[in-house]
Amino acid sequence: MRIRTVIAVLGSCVLLAAMTAPAAAQKVVKIGDLGSKVGVFEGYGKYQTMAIQLAVEELNAKGGVLGHKIEIISEDDDTKPAPAVRKAEKLILQDDVKLLVGAVSSGSTMAVMDVTKKHKVIHWNSVSCAEFMRTTKFHKYYFSNQPDSRMQANGLAKYMVDKMGKRVYIFYTDYAMGQSDGRQFKTALEKLGGEVVGVAGAPLDTKDFSPWFGAINQSNPDVLFLAFAGTDSLRLMTQLHSFGMTKKYKLAGIDCFLLQQDLPAIAEPMEGFVQLAHYSAYNPDPNMQAFNAKFKKKYNVDANIMAGAYDAVLFWAAAVEKVKSFDADKVAEAQEGMCLDNTHIGRQCIRKEDHQVVMDMHLYQVKGGKNLPIAVLAGKDTIGEPMVGKDPVEGFTWELKKKK
Amino acid sequence: MEYLGGVLLPQLLHGVVFGAALGLLALGLTVIFGLLGVMNFAHGELYMFGAYAGIAVIALTGSFWVALVAAPFLVAAVGALTEVATLRPLYRREPLHGLIMTFGLALIFREGARQLFGGDMRRILPPIEGSIPLLGMTYPKYRLFLLAISSILLLGIWLFFTRTRAGIVVRAAVQDAEMLDGLGVNVPRVFTLTFAGSAALAATAGLLLAPVFTVYPQMGVEMILLAFIVVILGGMGSLGGSVVAAFVIGIAQSLLTLWMNPQRVAIAIFGIMIVVLIVRPRGFFGREGVLE
Repeated sequence: MRIRTVIAVLGSCVLLAAMTAPAAAQKVVKIGDLGSKVGVFEGYGKYQTMAIQLAVEELNAKGGVLGHKIEIISEDDDTKPAPAVRKAEKLILQDDVKLLVGAVSSGSTMAVMDVTKKHKVIHWNSVSCAEFMRTTKFHKYYFSNQPDSRMQANGLAKYMVDKMGKRVYIFYTDYAMGQSDGRQFKTALEKLGGEVVGVAGAPLDTKDFSPWFGAINQSNPDVLFLAFAGTDSLRLMTQLHSFGMTKKYKLAGIDCFLLQQDLPAIAEPMEGFVQLAHYSAYNPDPNMQAFNAKFKKKYNVDANIMAGAYDAVLFWAAAVEKVKSFDADKVAEAQEGMCLDNTHIGRQCIRKEDHQVVMDMHLYQVKGGKNLPIAVLAGKDTIGEPMVGKDPVEGFTWELKKKK
Repeated sequence: MEYLGGVLLPQLLHGVVFGAALGLLALGLTVIFGLLGVMNFAHGELYMFGAYAGIAVIALTGSFWVALVAAPFLVAAVGALTEVATLRPLYRREPLHGLIMTFGLALIFREGARQLFGGDMRRILPPIEGSIPLLGMTYPKYRLFLLAISSILLLGIWLFFTRTRAGIVVRAAVQDAEMLDGLGVNVPRVFTLTFAGSAALAATAGLLLAPVFTVYPQMGVEMILLAFIVVILGGMGSLGGSVVAAFVIGIAQSLLTLWMNPQRVAIAIFGIMIVVLIVRPRGFFGREGVLE
């Protein structure tokens, strides 16, 4: 009799717990963080995760989004399109993420765009800069707060021609990002009266760049424009310096050439290097300093350009709250034209036509291992016309136009 | 003149430096070909082991120079063990068995390194830093050291094979192992020691090139393809031919990049190998009948 009573009481407790538990626990919404966590772009992937974590922590502290606690699922795409697609499908189909941030490499991001389009998931890109994402590959659920090749070329090419020299050699990493940068910069430089004296692409993750140096020296440019990123940039700069080429030529590069954290280690080769970016921890801008302070408080390191991933989560959360739904169609529509005041660089707005955030940028020059601002570029002047479905440099050719 | 000093000369020097290091790798490969009658597909992994052994020794001692001495011995021991345990039982069988065995060993070694050291790229800092002005250009000191030490090693190997009894015994084993056995030489021991020596050479090349190319489990695969081309062009089993071909490939590859993208140059060099294999399979200095 006593045993039966004990079993009955225990059974009632289990039943009661099972009935009350879902009501007591906060509901969860998952978001996906996809990118390179090891390898050539490891730094970007890791800082992307950190930026997302910071945003999620702030949102969860205020009760989450639409009453749901946000949970991050991070995945490494091995910096290759095929694993990126597999991981994106896993995040969407298995984990049911409502937002996907990533990937890091442009090739991966473009491959993932097909997945987010097919499964109708909000997709934010905060670092890949190939031009095709907001043009030929564009879809309704895709948004970006990374200045792409066209924005960068519009911003930096003029400075190069005016202040650095007219004869430019374009050296790029031979995949989607570098090719896109090469196309855009060659077009912009030639339009501005500059002369592209040589172009060459080296494969992603090249170990020894010296085989390319002969052709560069043969062209004898004023400026060496470099479209590389991550450990490729580190190796390239070290090798250029050891062959005396960092002193021989003026150097300029894309915004993601190197993260601020990598600069002190190769301060000497990078001295004088000009690049354009939307963020630097050494920019006195109050918004950037405010963001850097909270980033540093949490991680004890300075923030860098990957801070864009923080804004991506904020934009998505604001849109979800606005439409009171996680439905991707409704959220996408809410994000179109949306402005936020509390991003890492202050107020920013998403352009409705191609879902590109109109970002103000700065030109930076490396001095003593620090990216210091030398000029401001308004987002409206660099973003260019919306060109959804069109090739922004139609009829482009790599052929060199020799000037007499 | 400016073109010569600023463009041609640095490219020529790149080629000579790379050719010397490639020669070290190819020499071991060609000696093993002479012994086994097959290409050692695991040779690239022994080159990779050299770099990882170097990382381990540097971590322990903090010295690249100690690593440069210790790593070849460590990899030689691995080579000797491999030869005794896996290749020796196959000597009397079809050469194809040895080929498949070395291919399998290559996969095991590569994955083993990935499990043991991880798949990340690792860097060994050059023990000699900085650059010097040289003939009107700036050239990294380490690359000049690389050229010097590789040349000294190549010269030492040539002296070993031509001036010492042990070297003559190895050459005899390469030419005709059965005859050597008949003369009372312990041929299995010669095979083991030669394999170990070849592994040590590969390891030396791996560690010397590590500060230039960085270290990762796949590094051997990328280099071994070039070494195969060198051995085929030089003539299978021809020691002198391999050295000459290594310099030819290194210099040709470097100079061609002045007019072609280096990726296309790599394809062109494979094209040359295909032509040589069709027209003159024995290579430039190979023995008559080899691969014919």
